[in-house]
Amino acid sequence: MRLDRTSWILPLAVIAVIAVIAAACGGGESRPAADASAEAPAGEGVVVQYDCIPNYANWGGVTALYERTTGVRVPPDMKGSSAAMAALEAERDHPQADCAYYSGAIGFEAARRGLHQAYRPAGWDSIPDALKDPDGLWWTVHTAAVALVVNTAALGDVPAPTSWDDLLDPRYEGLVAYDDPTWGGTAYTFVFGVNELMGGSAADFEPGLAYLEKLDANAHSYPRESVYNDVLRGEIPIWINADGNGYKMRWVDGGPVEVVIPREGTVSMPLVMGMAAGAPRPEAAKAYLDWLLTPAAQSEFAQAYFRPVIPGAMPAEIEERFLPATDYERVVHLDLAEMAGASDTLKRAWLERIRRGGGG
Amino acid sequence: MTAPLAAFLLAAFVLPLIRLVPAAVAPPADAVAQHGAGVGGSFARAFLGPGVEPFRNSLVISAGVSVIAVLLCLPAAWMLARHRFRLQGLLRTVLALPLTFSGVIVGFLGILVLGRLGLVPALLRLLTGEPLLAGSAYTLGGLVAAYVYFEVPRAVLTLEAALRRLPPELDRAAATLGAGAVQRLVRIHLPLVWPALVSTFAVAFAASMGSFGVALILARRFTVVPLEIYTEFTGFLDTGYASALCLGLAAVTLAANGLLRALTKNGDWIYG
Repeated sequence: MRLDRTSWILPLAVIAVIAVIAAACGGGESRPAADASAEAPAGEGVVVQYDCIPNYANWGGVTALYERTTGVRVPPDMKGSSAAMAALEAERDHPQADCAYYSGAIGFEAARRGLHQAYRPAGWDSIPDALKDPDGLWWTVHTAAVALVVNTAALGDVPAPTSWDDLLDPRYEGLVAYDDPTWGGTAYTFVFGVNELMGGSAADFEPGLAYLEKLDANAHSYPRESVYNDVLRGEIPIWINADGNGYKMRWVDGGPVEVVIPREGTVSMPLVMGMAAGAPRPEAAKAYLDWLLTPAAQSEFAQAYFRPVIPGAMPAEIEERFLPATDYERVVHLDLAEMAGASDTLKRAWLERIRRGGGG
Repeated sequence: MTAPLAAFLLAAFVLPLIRLVPAAVAPPADAVAQHGAGVGGSFARAFLGPGVEPFRNSLVISAGVSVIAVLLCLPAAWMLARHRFRLQGLLRTVLALPLTFSGVIVGFLGILVLGRLGLVPALLRLLTGEPLLAGSAYTLGGLVAAYVYFEVPRAVLTLEAALRRLPPELDRAAATLGAGAVQRLVRIHLPLVWPALVSTFAVAFAASMGSFGVALILARRFTVVPLEIYTEFTGFLDTGYASALCLGLAAVTLAANGLLRALTKNGDWIYG
């Protein structure tokens, strides 16, 4: 073996792997072998949903219930909202997925790009008008609110923050994290929403960015991976994320976790779905999308403390573990069209000023 | 053995790279409207615009980390290659262990060791009363440490293999002919070891250039090219710019390796 040859092979292989990832990024899900024509709605088969993370909004429990009820399998898919849309875009000419799940603005954007086909699932009329596209290109399946998820044990003697202003206090230095908004839809909702809360608008990001710059002094990190467990064990004491994730840490995982709706108010986050354009298994997909709005499926989402979009589907024992309704009166709804339209500009501005902005 | 290798390279390297070219040269209309980069615009952004910083960062951190890894590993590789001792196999296994970890896992490991609640800060708190180094995993120093950890097994194994091929009788002959320790180091050891050091550096450098997971998990502000490709693709759907960055990364890494090879040409892999 001559060493000069091996010294070539390794770099080549490394680059090859990157090239493959970039070329096929998100396209990694191979199409299940099941024959689409053999899939009667209630028979055996598969529906492919991009962004179907078992640990998020109880998709694991929901899809397991669906398989028990109908025999149809919906495999887990670990792509987040942005990656799901990127995959649909990359596979535009050869669609693999039947449907996808996103945080609101990204689903709106995917619909705008023509990646969805119109479908109004059964139960359509129970969804509030603000939470669906009139043509059925996207609709909400459940909602959450952006909140402070606080690990009180990790804070020790320091009291939990109660407002956005509180978070700027130097005693929280190195303790506050929110996901990178170029990675996660929840974080993008927060970055867009906090700007509105600070008096900005979709045409003026300055108030929000100025706040986030100040918050940067207290930043622990800007994760690009799920940090649910890091919050639970206290590595990250304060996480700005969906309220439901905090309730789940507390009530399902038994963590010393408190959810705070900041005094100044916060923003809601609809989580939406759409049927993929050119879905390879359209009938099975429609049956599945219909079922997701039934009380059975909706109350299953509620097990992960995401609010069902269908009224009356929230189990009482779950409802009473949420913060009181008066806290939720401070929740503001965002305009998904504005949010989607601002996406690239705001995310670029965030990268420039916050992620690359400071020292250290 | 060349045919399967050629087929592999064609399928896994050449074809994907070729596929990236059209996207990088002329991005789809959608991307042009959104990112304002027409024909050739993606390359301009990658090599003259915002891409300059990640390329510079990648080159600096990969080169720095590879130098550290080679120097750190030289004594261990020398021991493993030139001496026989008890537990040698065990030591080799332990040193090679990190090779089985992906970059993302090494990133998580970095958090467990040097995070806010990391092992090292906890130990230092016991010793000094202060949780020193807490959260240093997220600093540039922590990132460098994780990269080095990632490169150590590769460096040890490559260097050991190279050192093993050094003819020990040259050293003995030089000593017999009256060369002192310094003279042997300068005239015998360094010229012999130099190509091995360079080739080990080259392997570590290439792996660092392509490494993605460590920076994905740990880097707070620092950005490297693979991370930039990921962000542009998933965060902005900017396939043109992401493709241009990919091609640039491949070109820079290949060029660097070609240069390193040329550097050691005269030594002509004396042990080869």
